[in-house]
Amino acid sequence: MDIALDGAAVRFGEFQAVHPTDLTIRASEFFSILGPSGCGKTTILRLLSGFLDPSEGEVRIGGQPMAGIGPSDRPTALIFQNLALFPLMSVWENVAFGLEMRGWKKAQRRDKAHELLRMVALDGQADKLPGELSGGQRQRVAIARALAVEPAVLLLDEPLSALDLKLRQHMRAELKQLQKATGITFVYITHDQGEALTMSDRVAVMNRGWIVQVGSADDVYHRPETAFVATFVGETNRLPGRIETASDGKARIATPEGAFVAENPAGLSSGAEAILFLRPERLHLLAGRETPANTLTGKLVRRDMEGAFSTLVVETGAGQLTVQRVNAGTDPLPDGPLHLGFSDSAGVILPPGDTADD
Amino acid sequence: MTSLRRSFGAPLSAVIVLLTGIWVLGLIAAPQVIMIEQSFWRMDRPAGAAELSVRIDALYNRLDVLALDRAAAEKVKTPSSLNAELARLDAERAGIEAEIARLEAEESTPVKTWTLANYAQMGQAHLWIFAKTILASLAVTAIAFVVCYPIAYAIAKLEPPRRAALIMLALVIPYAINELLRVFAWQMILNYGGPLNAALGLVGIGPVPFLESGTGVFVAMVYAYILFMVFPLYNVLETLDTNQIEAARDLGAKTWQIHRRIVLPHARPGIAVGCIMTFMLSAGSYAVPYIMTRGTADPWFTQLVYNRFFQATNWNVGAAYAFSLLLVCTGFVFLMMKLLKVRLRDIAK
Repeated sequence: MDIALDGAAVRFGEFQAVHPTDLTIRASEFFSILGPSGCGKTTILRLLSGFLDPSEGEVRIGGQPMAGIGPSDRPTALIFQNLALFPLMSVWENVAFGLEMRGWKKAQRRDKAHELLRMVALDGQADKLPGELSGGQRQRVAIARALAVEPAVLLLDEPLSALDLKLRQHMRAELKQLQKATGITFVYITHDQGEALTMSDRVAVMNRGWIVQVGSADDVYHRPETAFVATFVGETNRLPGRIETASDGKARIATPEGAFVAENPAGLSSGAEAILFLRPERLHLLAGRETPANTLTGKLVRRDMEGAFSTLVVETGAGQLTVQRVNAGTDPLPDGPLHLGFSDSAGVILPPGDTADD
Repeated sequence: MTSLRRSFGAPLSAVIVLLTGIWVLGLIAAPQVIMIEQSFWRMDRPAGAAELSVRIDALYNRLDVLALDRAAAEKVKTPSSLNAELARLDAERAGIEAEIARLEAEESTPVKTWTLANYAQMGQAHLWIFAKTILASLAVTAIAFVVCYPIAYAIAKLEPPRRAALIMLALVIPYAINELLRVFAWQMILNYGGPLNAALGLVGIGPVPFLESGTGVFVAMVYAYILFMVFPLYNVLETLDTNQIEAARDLGAKTWQIHRRIVLPHARPGIAVGCIMTFMLSAGSYAVPYIMTRGTADPWFTQLVYNRFFQATNWNVGAAYAFSLLLVCTGFVFLMMKLLKVRLRDIAK
């Protein structure tokens, strides 16, 4: 089912948790809402699940206005950050809880619970208590419990945040695969951009109660529309300066390190203050006769070996820049100054604004 | 023991063991053992012993009367008739003293006999009061639970923390006043001519004999012991993850289903503690039924126990009555734990 927010806003007294928001989530889409803590993403989730009513505007699920419909009557199921499994019920009773509330007979409930537990590979654990399972297994119980009521929309509130890294990566793949298999609309709340980028069909980035950008993972990563998105999603270098010239969607920005040409999606005109955002992996060491659109020179300060790649910290006239270099086992780092370059489509010039670290 | 010594050293361990021993012996074992021991014997005297002592008492009384007669005679009689009168009185006194000496020689000391008879003493009337006290205490416990559960739930889960603290304070403040005063206050409120009946009179009801019907005891007890129910419930409900309530709601549970399947099962240890405390306090309460009924309604069993001790001065039967009450209360504790599937360890928490 598709979801629509129509000018929906939430106010708690004086505090505007969510500003009026128009948002459409398509049916059978894996949609993530990504933002720092306190940005209002959980409020939106509570708006969808029915624990909260919008102060103004409207929420529609499957075209149906949701005003006055409580959480128990919506076609949604929520997976909590702490999972909120019922500790005194066995695993299968947890899974069958929604069916019990719908008046199913015990034998039917048990069959359905076993079927769902088989789907999440937990069939042997049905009679244990949740406390006796591992973190990943509890995770799967929570998913099975939510799926038992056959929701059209599954709402997930950072459910992976309590797991360790390896398990988290594994569960990402499982969730994505599950979403594909079931065709249920997933709305996934997270502050972890890695999770949002790997799993989602589309991502909404939120900041201070506003949805600042909605797009595919590639869109928000490569084509940020605001300084906040550029800095919150992934690592980035910042080169503040002033626009010299602008034309054809590109602009030339003057920075203390020199003038560079980059994308100008905001259509800034000459004289405007701006910041050039440049991903570390788009900035590379020049070798031989390459002549990219932009070049600069710096001194190597530090090299962090990170396995598949290394991060170089380079001191330039515009401050320290980071460069990511794939460890392909080839060129040793040259002595003396480093010559760096990037193409005219590698950087994005955006007006100054909120960034992720202030 | 070794781990205790390793953690605290020998001298401190000795002190801990000693104090624990004093606690267990002096506060738990000794009073119970003494009372139970009392309840299993009585002082037996041979047949006719009672009549004998009555006769001796009567003779002693007669001696006192003679002494008075003698003093009176010395004041009023003329010297001539005085001597004859005194001789007569002295002769009678000597006769009585001889009789007393004979009877006292016959009198035997009572013998301590082990017996279950003290328990059999409880006649039908007392047994009925015993049963009624247990039933009434169960009712007080049930009423207290019904009253306290919503309060505790509201404080723990619904109210914003600051307002919850305020409600808590309002609940505790009355307990700064002595229990007797609070019960007296209720006695006045519920009295035949009290403010409640006055208010009811205004709307044309009453006057209702709250105290005489025994209703007053319930009201005062629920009021007096409400905190002992609220606090255990509040403590346990506070530890319930609110997300579980929301998860249940999200999965389609209605409010009563949430309470039945999520909140009440979680609250089991608190319910057990609250019920046990309220039941014990009401079954063992003396002051509340005494003040609230003043003999106008059926007594509480504790009043009977008191009467055995201090009016019938039969401590052995009193101990038997008290031990019966203790047995039933202990039975209730274990029944509660069994019913609510709570172990002692959960309660201790």
